[in-house]
Amino acid sequence: MTTTSRPLDGASGAPAIELRSLVKSFPPRRGSQDTEVRAVDGIDLHIEPGEVVAFLGPNGAGKTTTLDMVLGLTEPTSGTAEVFGRRPREAVVGGHVSAVLQTGGLLRDLTVRETVRMIASTYVAHAPVDEVIDRAGLTLLAGRRVSKCSGGEQQRLRFALALLPDPRLLVLDEPTAGMDVTARRDFWDTMHEDASAGRTVVFATHYLEEADAFADRIVLIAGGRIVADGTTAEIRSQASGRTVSATLPPGSVAESVARLRTVEGVHDVVERGSRVVVTAADSDAVARLLLLDLGGTDLEIVTAGLEQAFMTLTGDGRDLDAEKELVR
Amino acid sequence: MNATFTLLEMRRITRDWAGMFFTAVLPAFFYLIFGATVDAKDATIGNGNVAMYVMISMAAYGAVTATTSIGGNAAVERQQGWGRQLGLTPLADSSYIAMKALIAMTVAAVPILLTFALGAATGARGSAQAWALSAVLCLVGSAVFAVYGLLVGTAFRSEAAVGAASGTMVIFAFLGNLFIPLSGALLTFAKFTPLYGYAALARYPLTEGYLPDGSRDPLWLPIVNVLAWLAVFGVSAVLLVRRGRERQ
Repeated sequence: MTTTSRPLDGASGAPAIELRSLVKSFPPRRGSQDTEVRAVDGIDLHIEPGEVVAFLGPNGAGKTTTLDMVLGLTEPTSGTAEVFGRRPREAVVGGHVSAVLQTGGLLRDLTVRETVRMIASTYVAHAPVDEVIDRAGLTLLAGRRVSKCSGGEQQRLRFALALLPDPRLLVLDEPTAGMDVTARRDFWDTMHEDASAGRTVVFATHYLEEADAFADRIVLIAGGRIVADGTTAEIRSQASGRTVSATLPPGSVAESVARLRTVEGVHDVVERGSRVVVTAADSDAVARLLLLDLGGTDLEIVTAGLEQAFMTLTGDGRDLDAEKELVR
Repeated sequence: MNATFTLLEMRRITRDWAGMFFTAVLPAFFYLIFGATVDAKDATIGNGNVAMYVMISMAAYGAVTATTSIGGNAAVERQQGWGRQLGLTPLADSSYIAMKALIAMTVAAVPILLTFALGAATGARGSAQAWALSAVLCLVGSAVFAVYGLLVGTAFRSEAAVGAASGTMVIFAFLGNLFIPLSGALLTFAKFTPLYGYAALARYPLTEGYLPDGSRDPLWLPIVNVLAWLAVFGVSAVLLVRRGRERQ
């Protein structure tokens, strides 16, 4: 048992993650009418060492598939993925990257400590077994069978396994999925305690609060594409946009919608019968236009929450490129 | 080879007392019924007697049942996500398969030892060389079926994989001339089936190739059979294990 103190080779320039035109498509399920499924549909991403990045998106957005390619668990259909300038599998073998997987199975008939010993034995050099058990807060559970551990305890065990190679990049795929509120808070407390300087962390989540609380940067993913990418502050400024809605005189709706779309700062216009719903940075200007020039009535102005910004960005495919530009 | 990993895997198997009982004791029981208690048990075959012929056959059956079930269990573990967890480590596919094969062979040694001990106690007779060589061949050859279990389990990808893999062993054992002496067209067909070569090779030190119907297999026949099936299982297993890494 030896402890690792690897020189940070590659820290001099190579990005932690570099994805270029990454595509992954799966063949359709046997017997179904579907054509092939593009889980990841052209992702370009550059993550520097030391960044803490959240992959935020709804279920089925392509987060896990993207991370699988970063970890060398899946080969891209086209495009390339590099980790510290290496092919992902090489980075895994070198102990540079490790992960806590959403569905990473554990052997139910082993104890916690046996599991850590078993995975530790696959590395040439690794952190001491008892040390990672302690860092993951599992010391009191070390002798317990995995089958007797709760979901949260099993997740902490996966975290202990991920700490073994002392990786420079740690990938967490929905690490708190299925945990209750307390277990989730405990898990992130453990993570915070361990967030040693310089370790790059990339985690996937569909909980906004998690992304907001832990990440410096949020990459919003929907439909296999990046729909927004920015610091948490930038993403939050999206939320400061307001939604203005009004009822327009019959017959003038289409013309008014076209005109509203040309106004600077308007990022979305939706028709709902005779009502239009406009999402814009400058709600006053839109309100003035609606009431004075377009003959609108029953005007409402609503401040969008972070939740709504998230829904707007990931919920449907319209104007995604425009929104992506705006956030950058 | 990774000693810590292998020993921890062994500990898991020894914890499963019920599984061990059926893997190890059932073939010994078969030997008592089909070998030690039949009228023809003292009739001469090659360098020994019929009891020894049946003993080797049952030891071979027990060994492949053990290795197939261990291979099948490995596949079920992998499909439950353990394969992805291992995919995050430097462990190479070839090392994983080699370790699992070693574990399977260690467990396979249990029914072989038990059946041979029973045979020695109940009248199985053969030359010392036949005893030693057939035991070694039973053991070494069973590794082929650890790979077979892994292959079947990975292909079926379900809890039923283990049962399916072990179940097919009974059919292959009949076709492999292990339970009842075959003859005619069925015997000709049997020579192409996976257990035939392994069982014939394990019995070769005793029979020198002679079959119960009086015909004789040249030595190259079981060897080619074993190598051909090893190639088929090995290549398919490596391809399927790679697929096991990907999330389905």
